[in-house]
Amino acid sequence: MIEIVNPGMMSIVVDGGRYGYMEVGVPASPALDGYALRALNRLLANGEGAPAIEIFGVGFSLRFGMDVSCAITGARVMADLSGGPLQSWMSFAVKAGDVLTVNAIEEGFRYYVGFSAAPVLDKFIGSYSTNLECRFGGYQGRALQKGDRIEFENVRKVGERKIPENFIPRMNPPHMLRVVEGPEQDFFTEESLSKFLSGTGRTFTVSTKLNRTGIRLDGKPLKLRAGAEESIISEGLLPGSIQVPADGLPIIQLHERTLGGYARPALIAKADHDLLAHLKPGDAVTFKMIGIEEAGGLFDKKIQTAVLMNKLI
Amino acid sequence: MNVSRYGEEGILILFGDKIDLAIHEKVRRFYFFLKSRQFTEITDVIPSFRSCLIVFDRSKTSYEALIALLKEKESLMSPVDIPSPKTCEIPVEYGGEKGFDMPFVQSHTGLSEDEIVEIHTSATYTVFAVGFMPGFPYLGILDERLYLPRLETPRLRVPEGSVGLAQLQTGVYPFESPAGWRIIGRTDKKLFDYRKEPYSLLQIGDRVRFVRA
Repeated sequence: MIEIVNPGMMSIVVDGGRYGYMEVGVPASPALDGYALRALNRLLANGEGAPAIEIFGVGFSLRFGMDVSCAITGARVMADLSGGPLQSWMSFAVKAGDVLTVNAIEEGFRYYVGFSAAPVLDKFIGSYSTNLECRFGGYQGRALQKGDRIEFENVRKVGERKIPENFIPRMNPPHMLRVVEGPEQDFFTEESLSKFLSGTGRTFTVSTKLNRTGIRLDGKPLKLRAGAEESIISEGLLPGSIQVPADGLPIIQLHERTLGGYARPALIAKADHDLLAHLKPGDAVTFKMIGIEEAGGLFDKKIQTAVLMNKLI
Repeated sequence: MNVSRYGEEGILILFGDKIDLAIHEKVRRFYFFLKSRQFTEITDVIPSFRSCLIVFDRSKTSYEALIALLKEKESLMSPVDIPSPKTCEIPVEYGGEKGFDMPFVQSHTGLSEDEIVEIHTSATYTVFAVGFMPGFPYLGILDERLYLPRLETPRLRVPEGSVGLAQLQTGVYPFESPAGWRIIGRTDKKLFDYRKEPYSLLQIGDRVRFVRA
């Protein structure tokens, strides 16, 4: 058993995601940093998409009611286990009665805490992930609160293992996000697009309007071409799509919507999706357009890195 | 098929460029054709008003290979694959606290509450898409006399079961949710149950009739 002492700004149960029912509007709601979840589960000898707790904000703290192994990945944090300092991206042994506390975040935004054990929670529509908006999945369909207890089964212990430094991604701003062409790219003026997508040009800032559904950016608005519609007939939306509503300011759509009605000039390359978990208010963001083949290659390389990591630890 | 690439793992297939029952029927047929073949390369399909978005597994196929496969199989598409739409009746309590935008709808349309209910309940609607949130049906096509603009600033919360109007569409919120549509009533009918397959009461192409509760 674990008991939440302090949930930080927000902590929820997530896993690899909920797939196969987007046709009736069921979003995937996965861990936003899929690589961090994968590394976490590797450290703990769990299945690749096994559930963990996704957290943002310092102060997160939990008390253990069992002997188990634990790890933290994602944002680099300074943590302690009953007073002894801990690093992230490594597994460590805990004893019943220990208290884990996250004291500071050094790089990145969201972090993941996992255990070498299986939480006793219900799977809904094939996933443990929390759908916050519709209040199902995860822990009672909601964010964790002080005093919540999660029971575990199949409790094991694993050796202390560490993800090598060169396998931990960079999460600090400024973020240069690579993008590929979106379905409505031609809705926007050449000038807007070239400045928006040059990689070195226009810088946007992550606004405070940010949640698991989307990230709104502040900056100079994109301009629609004369005659281009402000909205489109709602249709299927892929995670990472950049939607531009009437005010011209881009919204990076995450994994909670399956349909969208705004023009999409571009889409974040899949290789950079995990980084989206670490955009925080005030961070500088630039975009760089790349070709679809290059984007595919970058993502393949990312998968190879993950496979190599699996071999190393 | 008008096929285009959308991201590394998306294929967007367009069947037209407007909200139209004939175009939508093409979307529906193609969607059920995909479903009937259970392609293991495809992880999700999102059918909507005028398009089908296919999300594929890059570890199992490529854009080019999947398009070629779909084109080959599509020629074998037979009517057996395409189920007939089912019709569903949704009882609604109109007006009052549950349909709190009714006074606005009356003043905007110049119609009485009874006339509005009469118009809303007299049509059989088609489910053009299910989304925005799990189980939310985009229903059309609404009688032009009930055409209303969306709220400029969506309400933060409307209750589960709220029945709304926006432009030439009507729909039902399956969960308490933020909402930009005008709410004219509420239903007790459960539109989405995450505990039980097939989860959503409605799927694309189904027909809906509203009745006064």
